[in-house]
Amino acid sequence: MFSLLAVLLIIFNSGDDIVIKDQWIRPGAEKMGTALYFTIQNNGSEADTLFAVETDNAKMVQIHETYSTGDVMGMREIGKINIEPGSSVKLEPGGKHIMVMRLKKDIKKGDEIEFKLHFQKAGEISITARAK
Amino acid sequence: MKIFSYLIVTFTILILLGCQSKFPLDKDLTRKNYTFFNQDSVEVIFPDIIQDKVTVIGFIYTNCPDICPMTTHNMYLIQQKLKKNALDNVLFVSVTFDPERDLPSVLKKFGKIRDIDFNNWVFLWGDKKNTESLLKRFDITALKTDSTYFDDGELSYGMMHTDRISLIDNESRLKKNYRGSKVNLEELYNDIINLGE
Repeated sequence: MFSLLAVLLIIFNSGDDIVIKDQWIRPGAEKMGTALYFTIQNNGSEADTLFAVETDNAKMVQIHETYSTGDVMGMREIGKINIEPGSSVKLEPGGKHIMVMRLKKDIKKGDEIEFKLHFQKAGEISITARAK
Repeated sequence: MKIFSYLIVTFTILILLGCQSKFPLDKDLTRKNYTFFNQDSVEVIFPDIIQDKVTVIGFIYTNCPDICPMTTHNMYLIQQKLKKNALDNVLFVSVTFDPERDLPSVLKKFGKIRDIDFNNWVFLWGDKKNTESLLKRFDITALKTDSTYFDDGELSYGMMHTDRISLIDNESRLKKNYRGSKVNLEELYNDIINLGE
């Protein structure tokens, strides 16, 4: 009985270990690219890793970061984002972001777009990001 | 008398330094013409289009997900603020450094989805030669980087580029450069007002 309770507690708690908040996406035109931003908060006791992002609205989605050398800016694929226990990582303009490539339709201000975030431990988390 | 002369010289130097720091550049942009096409595919000549206008110019590519939208958004905020204050003799120009993908129709779509008012904002597309020549004039670096192939075989690439907005006076002289994505909007707005006076 206790074992069953413990398993249930683990199952129900694991969903809350990773919390996604303040998500938003920039408007973008069909066939072009845009960026998705949010904050990942890890309330758990173990580190977790975001390793993939999906959406039906784009041909390809990658985890990127913007970097600078003087006043020259570039971006590169980083593949994953680690979130230490009890900490948060902010994806924001000019820093880490989700690059959403070759949009299948226009994303206008106010539109809501669904994404699936894949974490190594927390599994799949669905979010809806509003365009602004 | 000698002290008085020293004071005058010092005061003059301070004034000159003050003027210089406000607008550190004074580059004449009228020496060469560049042929471009606007977002409606109408041929325009740079610098003819900026003649007699204070101009805010930014350099972008539309597949840029992060920096160029920030630069464009900053220009948009300035355009809106000027409009609100009925200051409409300022021209906004966005030049693509990715002419392969950013055809005029693409630039128009990029602007439209961001609610840009085309009445005083021109997007410019030029061929490779004109684009590279204009970029050189503004000391802009733009290089292709990370390449990815979509499953249909189309190549997608990113660009490493100078993050730049520039301010030009109504005599077509480049006066000041700003970090496009992180520009201090108040500083840019005040500089525009100062140039317009």
